[in-house]
Amino acid sequence: MDYRAQIGIRFITRRKGSLIAASLAVAIAILVVQVNSVIFQGLYDAIVRDQINYRFGHVYITRQEDYITKSDFVLVNWLERIPYVQAAAPRLDSVAQINSTVNGQLIKDYQVPIIGVDPVLDKEASTIFTTVGQGEFVSFRNSIVLGALVARDLGNPQIGDTVKLKFKDRYGNDVLKRFTIVGITQTAGSVGLDNSAIINIDTLRDVIERPHESGAILVRLNDPSKAEDVKQLFLSAFPSNSDKFKAQTIEESAETTLRGFRSGIALINLVGYFGMMSSAFAVVTIQMMQVTSKTREIGIMRAIGSKRKDILLVFIFQGMVIGAIGAGLGTVLGIGYTVYAKETHMTFQGSLPLEVHYNWASIIQTDIMAFVLAVIASIYPAYKATKLEPVEAMRYA
Amino acid sequence: MPDYVLEVQNLDKIYGEGETAFSALKNLSFTVKRGEFILIVGSSGSGKSTLLNMIGLLDKPTRGTVIIDGVNTSVLNDNQLSSFRNSKLGFIFQFSNLLSDLTVLENVVLPRKIQGTMSGAMEEGKNLLKTVGLEDQMNKFANKISGGQAQRVAITRALINKPAIVLADEPTGNLDSVSAETTIQLLKSLNRKLHQTFIVVTHDRPQFGDVDKVITIKDGRIVEGELEVA
Repeated sequence: MDYRAQIGIRFITRRKGSLIAASLAVAIAILVVQVNSVIFQGLYDAIVRDQINYRFGHVYITRQEDYITKSDFVLVNWLERIPYVQAAAPRLDSVAQINSTVNGQLIKDYQVPIIGVDPVLDKEASTIFTTVGQGEFVSFRNSIVLGALVARDLGNPQIGDTVKLKFKDRYGNDVLKRFTIVGITQTAGSVGLDNSAIINIDTLRDVIERPHESGAILVRLNDPSKAEDVKQLFLSAFPSNSDKFKAQTIEESAETTLRGFRSGIALINLVGYFGMMSSAFAVVTIQMMQVTSKTREIGIMRAIGSKRKDILLVFIFQGMVIGAIGAGLGTVLGIGYTVYAKETHMTFQGSLPLEVHYNWASIIQTDIMAFVLAVIASIYPAYKATKLEPVEAMRYA
Repeated sequence: MPDYVLEVQNLDKIYGEGETAFSALKNLSFTVKRGEFILIVGSSGSGKSTLLNMIGLLDKPTRGTVIIDGVNTSVLNDNQLSSFRNSKLGFIFQFSNLLSDLTVLENVVLPRKIQGTMSGAMEEGKNLLKTVGLEDQMNKFANKISGGQAQRVAITRALINKPAIVLADEPTGNLDSVSAETTIQLLKSLNRKLHQTFIVVTHDRPQFGDVDKVITIKDGRIVEGELEVA
């Protein structure tokens, strides 16, 4: 082993207090970045997951300015012939005034979003049916599933109760229709359809006078990485100049929801990296203490022939030891936390469960950054050590 | 090979400037032949350690020249001085000055590691430690041996590169009388056995008995008439 590396390693490993303090500073900085990543990237990915599962699918097809008039049967069949497509289902959105009578008391009308779903196809393309906590998913024509927030605002009606909805059809006429509540849907963090009501798409089509029309087609893929391919395949098969279709991947369709969150993640990451800078200052301080405590040894080494650059390398090697141990420890702690978060489906106060992934690229990037920072933080103390004159250094007691 | 292993010519060392200037060495000149055992003696503050630092190339003179083994050291840059110290000089200091984080053997071979000539160094180091009676201590860390033992380790470290001159600054100053006597006898026997040049700074002239030459320093000058030849 190179003697400068040997001395550097001995200097720091035989001062366990300094080694532990410096390595912990680096490890904690890595842990902060990892925890931030697990929580905030996990939250972001969870939102994306739920947006895919409940609202948009992996590819979301709409028509640029109007409802889709082409038969949903034709579109779904065409899409399901693509090998990457697991399922596709039509949806139709509208709004209605809703009221209910609970214990003989009329709960005041208010407007709620109405989602029309195909009871069979939607179960293949979306997992919104799994969020029905009480009762069952929509099935027959006059059944309705209320979002938990809607049910709460309606005074918590029971399964089997009826609600009255007032729609406006495409000509602006009011249409009144009574539905039987068959289920209540509730999602963690209310990111599902908790503020909406779900009914049979054919019922909605009839009520608003849009027979055979759809608002959108959700496409669920068995390989989400092929979303762009499916989108392009669809657009080339149904060119926008004739059908005026618009196809969006989840990144595009959920952009409004995700944009603000991405800025938040960037800010949080910045905080994590500032934490890493703080650890660099801790390394500088500990290395300066090391240089002071080793002044006499530096003098001896210079006296017996070490050059200034050799002294520099001794302390750079020390920094490498601190960086390597700190990065190793930080990675173990960070991965431990990630495993815990993943295995326990970590949530915060009933919010949506985090979508935790092992982001090896990010882990390695953080480790390298921490290691490099520890080495950089050692340069100034090392430089100070090289400036010591041997005769002065050896006088140091 | 030059006649003299060391030539000191008109050496001055002034610390500070202007009114605070202090002249530690004043126009010193002398020579040392190969294989001599030289004592530099003087009272505390006389300038003997300053002189040793100049000869050891650990400090630069204000004026004058130090020629070691025929090389004018005043023309060497910092890196060349480091290499020169490594190959031509061996150091023994008052406080053994071993690296406490290395073992005894690692301390002994350190100059060879610095030189980058490790071939056979471990064996040589072990043999030298055997010579000074420390073969059973070679794997101990340097801070785990006694002061007398540490000084013997420092002596073997000073010899490992077969330097032109071994410089010793108060090598017995921190030892009890028995260890001091052992150290002195060791230095003198190595001088005879290896024909190794030793320049030893001490304030205790009688402790060393017969030597080849004694240079007495007083107020930064070699005292006239006290350049004693044994």
